[in-house]
Amino acid sequence: MNFDGLYMLEVLPTLLKYLPLTLLMAFVSMFFAIIMGLFLALITKNQVPVLHQLAKVYISFFRATPTLVQLFIIYYGLPQVIPSFSVLNALTAAIIGLSFKNSAYLAEIFRAALHSVDHGQLEACLAVGMTKSQAYRRIILPQATRNAIPATGNTFIGLIKETSLAFTLGVAELFAQGKMMASSSLKYLETYLAVAIVYWGITILYSLVQEWMENKLSKPYRN
Amino acid sequence: MIKVTNLHKTFNDLVVLQGIDIEVKRGEVVAIIGPSGSGKSTLLRCLNFLEIPDQGVIEIGEVTIDAKQYTQKEVHQLRQQTAMVFQNYNLFKNKTALQNITESLLITKKMKQGEANQTGEALLEQVGLSEKAGSYPITLSGGQQQRVAIARALAVSPHAILLDEPTSALDPELVAEVLQVIKAIAEKKTTMVIVTHEMAFARQVADKVIFMADGKIVEQGAPADIFDRPSNERTKRFLQQFSAPESVIS
Ligand SMILES: Nc1ncnc2c1ncn2[C@@H]1O[C@H](COP(=O)(O)OP(=O)(O)OP(=O)(O)O)[C@@H](O)[C@H]1O
Ligand SMILES: [Mg+2]
Repeated sequence: MNFDGLYMLEVLPTLLKYLPLTLLMAFVSMFFAIIMGLFLALITKNQVPVLHQLAKVYISFFRATPTLVQLFIIYYGLPQVIPSFSVLNALTAAIIGLSFKNSAYLAEIFRAALHSVDHGQLEACLAVGMTKSQAYRRIILPQATRNAIPATGNTFIGLIKETSLAFTLGVAELFAQGKMMASSSLKYLETYLAVAIVYWGITILYSLVQEWMENKLSKPYRN
Repeated sequence: MIKVTNLHKTFNDLVVLQGIDIEVKRGEVVAIIGPSGSGKSTLLRCLNFLEIPDQGVIEIGEVTIDAKQYTQKEVHQLRQQTAMVFQNYNLFKNKTALQNITESLLITKKMKQGEANQTGEALLEQVGLSEKAGSYPITLSGGQQQRVAIARALAVSPHAILLDEPTSALDPELVAEVLQVIKAIAEKKTTMVIVTHEMAFARQVADKVIFMADGKIVEQGAPADIFDRPSNERTKRFLQQFSAPESVIS
């Protein structure tokens, strides 16, 4: 058998040096995706005129096209028509692309989560004299958050893995580094398995965090 | 005081309220009865603009609002004059019993946490649920949830409390505890408008009974007049369903 397990362990520390960059891309993109997704969800849920139609086109586009194509459009395509885009470095372009794409997915998740909160909750808020925005802040959004967490978590896990696409724009991240090490050592299986293990590890850790969050948020709903 | 003048409401093509006039004096308890679909809930929900009337003027406390011309601010002010108790309680699911009561005090009345808690605890005691302060709605029985909902409504010390069939969703053995709480509040001269199918209860607590059918007020008056000497044929037929079977035979 031709498998160098020791080599696999040896490359891990080098790969882990790229972990912060992967996490940075994942967290920053997720942050913007959540904010944009929430706006999109509120717009579609409340059927805000004009914006609602625009939101639907936006969501449809980013859900229906490959992430890789979106990244190429932003990084290589847009500077052609919007010259100021040419100053974007590859990392920023990747973060923008991943934020857009995932905001479209989150918009649908958040809309469903808002929808799953009983309409009576909003009426009860209004009936004791709250404004609609107070009602959303204090009652509706907290309940929707709990409903949204499992699917949002899946999106985040998907996003962590998608950060590897940034290598196609030339970002020297985890996967790019793996690729380089693999082609210089010719130990492809060992290197790519090591890369896989790093992603796997992040996902396992994140899943633990999510479980804890779900537990905490579901406290009011347990008998 | 509540004064409703010429209230109209349609849902698409369905005419639900056609020219309702009501007056409720301060401290008065008014019971609205009538067949299913007659527009009782819609009427109540127009009073706090959960349903937007097509036409009509609503005056509650210091706020007067004309359905033909109003601002969002006026709607908000109108809603602050009343509190509503819903058929299916609608307690805030992410808040404890106590938080359900204090929420509006903190958010709309900008009360301090300590003061709000004191008010909340006193109200929980009033509805007999002091020991449930920290419980979430899901752990409470229907009767307990509705009593918390009543306390929540009382908390904002509204001009009037609107109750839409507060006991209809309850198991029979839980009805009495809720009616008792409402009765105690009525005795404190709280202005109340209550839609109910509990005729005995309406008779007991109401100062005035309104019988509605097909989106109109058919008859109104003192409980004794409506229940014992209804003058309208529709009222008579409606009330007959509620009389005991043996009286139908005799
Ligand atoms: N949001 C709505 N959209 C369309 N139709 C509605 C709506 N709400 C109520 N209706 C209709 O309006 C009519 C009056 O309804 P409402 O709920 O006011 O009756 P009700 O007197 O409270 O009846 P019940 O005793 O069964 O509660 C019914 O025919 C009902 O189907
Ligand atoms: Mg009704």
